[in-house]
Amino acid sequence: MTTAVAASRRSGSPAGPPPAKRTSLRLLAHQVRYEQLSFWRNPQSAVFTFIFPVVFVVIMGALFGGVGKSSYFGGLSALQYYVPTIAALSVLGSCYGQLAVALAARRQAGVLKRIRATPLPAWTYFAGLLAHCVLVSVIDIALIVGVGRLYGVPFPSHWLAIMLTLVLGAASFCALGVAVASVIANAEAAPAVAQLVLFPLMFISGTYLPIQSALLNRIAGWLPVRPFNEALTGPFARHAGADWRDLAVLAAWGMVGAVVAVRRFRWDPRPE
Amino acid sequence: MRTQVNAVEVCGLRKSYGQVHAVRDVGFTVGYGEIVALLGPNGAGKTTTLEILEGFRTRDGGTAEVLSYDPGERSSARELRERTGLVLQDIAVEPYLTVRETIARAAGYYRAPRGVAEVIGLVGLTGLERRKVRSLSGGQKRRLDLALGLIGNPALLYLDEPTTGFDPAARRDAWQLVRELRTDGMTILLTTHDMEEAQALADRVVLLSEGVVVAAGEPAALGGRDAERARISFRLPAGYTAADLPVPSHSANGMAVVETDAPTQALHQLTDWAIGRGHVLAGLTVERPSLEDVYLELTREGAPAPAPERNTR
Repeated sequence: MTTAVAASRRSGSPAGPPPAKRTSLRLLAHQVRYEQLSFWRNPQSAVFTFIFPVVFVVIMGALFGGVGKSSYFGGLSALQYYVPTIAALSVLGSCYGQLAVALAARRQAGVLKRIRATPLPAWTYFAGLLAHCVLVSVIDIALIVGVGRLYGVPFPSHWLAIMLTLVLGAASFCALGVAVASVIANAEAAPAVAQLVLFPLMFISGTYLPIQSALLNRIAGWLPVRPFNEALTGPFARHAGADWRDLAVLAAWGMVGAVVAVRRFRWDPRPE
Repeated sequence: MRTQVNAVEVCGLRKSYGQVHAVRDVGFTVGYGEIVALLGPNGAGKTTTLEILEGFRTRDGGTAEVLSYDPGERSSARELRERTGLVLQDIAVEPYLTVRETIARAAGYYRAPRGVAEVIGLVGLTGLERRKVRSLSGGQKRRLDLALGLIGNPALLYLDEPTTGFDPAARRDAWQLVRELRTDGMTILLTTHDMEEAQALADRVVLLSEGVVVAAGEPAALGGRDAERARISFRLPAGYTAADLPVPSHSANGMAVVETDAPTQALHQLTDWAIGRGHVLAGLTVERPSLEDVYLELTREGAPAPAPERNTR
């Protein structure tokens, strides 16, 4: 056994470090690959992530499938309204909710501390999480659009605007998810806190029902969820391009989340 | 960065959590290729000291150098992590990956890792490569944890209570592995509650109590126990009293006890005396204070602390 140890030490010495940039990208690819592997191996997380939004569209389709264009839904049919808002909901769920809960649990279990003890740079770890969240969101949206099509909702026309909104939204809500995970002290409280913030916010932002109050719409317009709903509804149902004002509000919230996350994030289960 | 003989140098280390002075004045060194054990009761400051060296906690005062780097310095943190490995008390691994995947993932984080298959062999997980982590036994998970500490081919390895919960055979295997790693040039700093472990593994031990180093040295000499008087005890042959023996002694419950600075001579006189009379010295033992006796004496509440207490902050 001793000779094996000694042999590997000799052969393990590198010929010279490869260029830094290539190494960073390869490290990121490595990290994304194993994040994906852990995710897809866990049947619960994989199934619930994708089943919930699909079931939600199916239910909404069953309830409102026959409701045509109406002023109640802002001049859209019910399903034209719900397909983009449920798409937004699924992005929120995987980027903000699940990420906050998963990070709090990983910290409590010591997984984050173990990662922190390796040379993996923090930004690579978080970039790996973001890439995972974007991928999950893309699959979710594809499923939701597919089910919507069964109820007669036409495919959206502005895919570029949707992708831009999706990536910006995923990044912003990931940053907010990490921020919430940074502020929550223990993993048991994480799901409750994350939902406590999210549920009322989604309600007043028109995720479940169109909001008819101009005041409420104005307030919600400065919070992160409604701008995201609106920014997705435009290219999904109104044949509009990117809504820059909504995207700016979303980006501003992402920055707030990022600042809190950078300042407050802890890797160690025990407080300093 | 400068070269030096010690892998770890700590001096006057301090750390408080609010009103709790976890580490008050800790100083010690670990030479390259040495195995050093931090001993002490719960709350003595072992883990906090280790976490400061690992870069998880900032120190309030004192100096610390690990492999010639300051562990509190952010700019060199990544370089330091390339060269140190650690095995934590808690098992922290993703449950749905296999053994091989878990180790391969960690290997990808290092510039020059060891081979995945080789490390699996080193820690004795050969044959379990394709098993999901969640289906491993507690002992197997600890071995996986050890594999993660070794995969980066570290110059310095931290082991936080490495064999807690191991059965005796697994503990022997782990000790053997640690010795082999040291033979190969690795420096090892470990914490333990287990005196036998400290005695079996460590070149030197550092005994902490209430955030202060109360003793340091080779396990055989800790607290001056090698200079303590030896105790020779045996059952008195029938019909004799302690006064009949050729050396000063006392007796209790039929056992004669001789305390002496010169056990070689005393034993010679005693065995000579017994053989001359056709008796045996039944139950003969020669003892010095054990490492555990010294440990309990030095960490006893209210025991005098040799290092001067300083005002924190």
